[in-house]
Amino acid sequence: MERLTNSLRVRLTSVVLVIHAALVPLLYLGVSAIVEDGYAELFVNPLRSNSRLIADELEAADAQEFPRYAGALLDSVVLSGQVVFAEITDGAQTLHSSLSSVSPGRARGDDFEFADHGDQVYYISHRVKRGTRWVVLRLGFDEGPTLERIAAAKRRVLAAVLAFTAASIAVAIWLSAVIARPMVRLQEAAKRVAGGDVHTELQMHSSIREVRELNHHLERMRQELVGTNDRLESEIRGREASEQKRLDLERRLLHRERIASIGTLAGGVAHEFNNILTPILLYSQIALDDTAPDGALARDLTRIVAAAHRARSLVNRILTFSREMHSQEPAVFSLRPTVEEALALMRAIVPANIEVDFDASEDGTAVQGDPSLVHQVVINLCTNAYQAMRRTGGRLSVKLRGIDNPGDGQINPGSYALLEVGDTGHGMEQAVILHIFEPFFTTRDVGEGTGLGLSVVHGIVTSMGGSITVESAVGQGTTFRVYLPAAAAQVCERSGALG
Amino acid sequence: MRRALLLTLLLVLCTQGVAGTQAVVLVVPADSNVVDLEPVTVRKLFLGLPVLVNGVPLHPFRNRSDAQLDPIFLQQIVAMSQSAYDRQILIGVNRQGWLRPVELTTRARVLATLYSDPNAVTFMWLRDVERNPKVRVIRVLWSD
Ligand SMILES: Nc1ncnc2c1ncn2[C@@H]1O[C@H](COP(=O)(O)OP(=O)(O)OP(=O)(O)O)[C@@H](O)[C@H]1O
Ligand SMILES: [Mg+2]
Repeated sequence: MERLTNSLRVRLTSVVLVIHAALVPLLYLGVSAIVEDGYAELFVNPLRSNSRLIADELEAADAQEFPRYAGALLDSVVLSGQVVFAEITDGAQTLHSSLSSVSPGRARGDDFEFADHGDQVYYISHRVKRGTRWVVLRLGFDEGPTLERIAAAKRRVLAAVLAFTAASIAVAIWLSAVIARPMVRLQEAAKRVAGGDVHTELQMHSSIREVRELNHHLERMRQELVGTNDRLESEIRGREASEQKRLDLERRLLHRERIASIGTLAGGVAHEFNNILTPILLYSQIALDDTAPDGALARDLTRIVAAAHRARSLVNRILTFSREMHSQEPAVFSLRPTVEEALALMRAIVPANIEVDFDASEDGTAVQGDPSLVHQVVINLCTNAYQAMRRTGGRLSVKLRGIDNPGDGQINPGSYALLEVGDTGHGMEQAVILHIFEPFFTTRDVGEGTGLGLSVVHGIVTSMGGSITVESAVGQGTTFRVYLPAAAAQVCERSGALG
Repeated sequence: MRRALLLTLLLVLCTQGVAGTQAVVLVVPADSNVVDLEPVTVRKLFLGLPVLVNGVPLHPFRNRSDAQLDPIFLQQIVAMSQSAYDRQILIGVNRQGWLRPVELTTRARVLATLYSDPNAVTFMWLRDVERNPKVRVIRVLWSD
């Protein structure tokens, strides 16, 4: 900026200086010449007339009187002031005024121009006819006062020219500053834009049209820049978002695959195990039937049968999870009665310090599938919630409603029935949330939980074409949301009539 | 400009000084009935005022064939500076209806005028007319 100010100012100022250097001497010389000519004219004109008049007077003078008259005339001429030399000569003799301050006998031609010969005296000689002979009247006028006046006038001219020069140089410097200022401000603004501050409007109020236009163009460039910047930014944001989405999907896919592979493994084991259980149950039952009911053997066999039953139910749960469980033919049904039935069961179980809320809307809550599986889902979710609040008490709230295109980024667009199970329990840490849907993952003590509850829920929801999400904060509570694809409306009504 | 001219004139005069004195004289044609003219009359004539001799108006011609004649004309005849003379002539011509003295720019034209106009009055270097029988010198205006 400093450099620009300097260069622009220096340039303008030096241009002015150069112009002055060229013009001022000319101006001074011109004005001086005019002044000099004027003074010379003022000097020369009257004394030419005066000398002519004196010569005429001499010519007309009476012959007898002449010598005395001529002497008196010369003296009076000298006494008039301007004349410093006066003589009359006829070649033979010379009459010279005794009052002349210049010594006589100076042979010098006439001065036709002011200040000729450099002797500060302007000589004029007139030839005067006296009868048959000629006399020459010679007068010298003092140029000194006029020369002084000319010198003084020249000094004044010089002073005026110098004052004018100084003033115009000052004006030039000031003007160049005035011209440079908007340029400097524009440059600062451009620098600001270059430095990244593109959002401040360029506002230059200048009376100089070119500066205003420049500002206008710069402002347009800035606006374009801002537009481009915004476009780029939103593009980048969009890419980041889609990248995030992609990563999310990938993670969920991976998670699903892992759960599915575990499920397949577990299903295979369970199947084999079921095959082994069947003869155990069958034969221990037969043995029990053949045994006296009150004996110790009967008691042992009863325990074996009970244990085998428990084992079978466990196997069934694993099979449900791995979707190999035999379910009923899928039918369209409304979720509400199923959920209400499950909740009635839960109300009987939970202690008084836990409040159970149910809020349901009928619309859009019809789904296709097996109601008993949904029942299982509700029981599992509610059991977990109740267990999370067992010590502290709290509120278990269950909500049911239809929803179109849930905003949740993890769910595909479409119509869903949403089942929400929330509690105010201890919640989960992120590390726990990552694993809850895996079979056999549990945080409970040995013997208290199998870790199959949520994996079964996951299996059921997935088999129905839905999704499940979880939201949890430690110490505040957990909410599970189950999205099941809504069945078509007419089917829903039919099933409601049958229901 | 005028000064430069005068300086050259002075130089010329200095080198020619040996050749003798110079003089400017008032001249009329040889057959003119003008005998002599007072300086005041000459001045009037060249300022454009009508001057009659024996009832006949004289015709003034300003000789400008030589630049050195101008300062002598101004100083000795009209006793004015050039600008004052110009002013005076303008006033006379416009207000009084006087005639501007005709200006002749070559020596040949000056002589031709003298030969053809018996009422002509003009001035010349003495050396140009000394031995000319058709021209009569009536007065020395200036001599060096
Ligand atoms: N509502 C909840 N609040 C807090 N933690 C929960 C909640 N639901 C599930 N969990 C956590 O998720 C784990 C897995 O739950 P899941 O239902 O699969 O198994 P479990 O309840 O431990 O065993 P099971 O259900 O077989 O008795 C639980 O051990 C618990 O730590
Ligand atoms: Mg559980």
